Amino acid sequence: MELTATIICGIAAVGTALFVIFSKNTVHSALWMVGNCLALAVLFLLLNSQFIAILQVIVYAGAIMMFILYAIMMLNLRAGGEEGDLKKNLFTGRFVILFLFFISLLILGVGLSPMALKGAMGPHALSAFGEVNLIANYIFVEGLCPFELVSVLLTVGVVGAVYLARRD
Amino acid sequence: MNDYQSIYLALSAILFAIGTLGVITRKDAIVIFLSIEIMLGAANLAFVAFSRANQSAEGIFMVMCVMAVAGAEAAIGLAIFVLLYRKTGSINIDKYNLLKW
Repeated sequence: MELTATIICGIAAVGTALFVIFSKNTVHSALWMVGNCLALAVLFLLLNSQFIAILQVIVYAGAIMMFILYAIMMLNLRAGGEEGDLKKNLFTGRFVILFLFFISLLILGVGLSPMALKGAMGPHALSAFGEVNLIANYIFVEGLCPFELVSVLLTVGVVGAVYLARRD
Repeated sequence: MNDYQSIYLALSAILFAIGTLGVITRKDAIVIFLSIEIMLGAANLAFVAFSRANQSAEGIFMVMCVMAVAGAEAAIGLAIFVLLYRKTGSINIDKYNLLKW
């Protein structure tokens, strides 16, 4: 049952990622990217990480993709006007693509070798793994300094974006 | 129990390769940006899979940091795109070769 759900969501994630890349229209690419985020969220749920799944839906599919769609609408791009010949680009980059294919096959071979689950893997431990109180305990006890640095990074990002986009 | 870790790792590798393919072949800056987001998502998937296999919260924390970096990157990147579009009326990356050596 879970294996079936995993395979279906994996196929959905790969298919939507391919649609993101090969869509002529930029808006269609962004909408397929929302589908990719949702498929990834279901995969996170299947991995017992409920908190990350919710965060994926809210932050990626909600905030970032809405932001990107807003930017596309503001830029007023013509459908397919920005793109050269996609086939020609694929043809000129064929050596790079072959190399990437080889690398991905290599990683695939590593990934398909069986990997044992470690630690206390009882049913209760597995279901409690993604719970938010455990994650919060980790963040505010062990990862406090990186967490605060992340907030500094976000502040600097917002200030930089406002500085770049202001009208002189 | 769902213990098919290798499927998630293979899926992560495939998604990362697809994102790299998009970065190499497309000329539209926004689609390249979306391809980078696909690559970040693939890395997140591998992080969560390993974190669950080891029963630790470090991977989850890394995923949250990656999401914050992706948000900051979206803000800065789209501001840069708007700036480029205002200057030249296009965001085709072939037109921006000022830094090419």
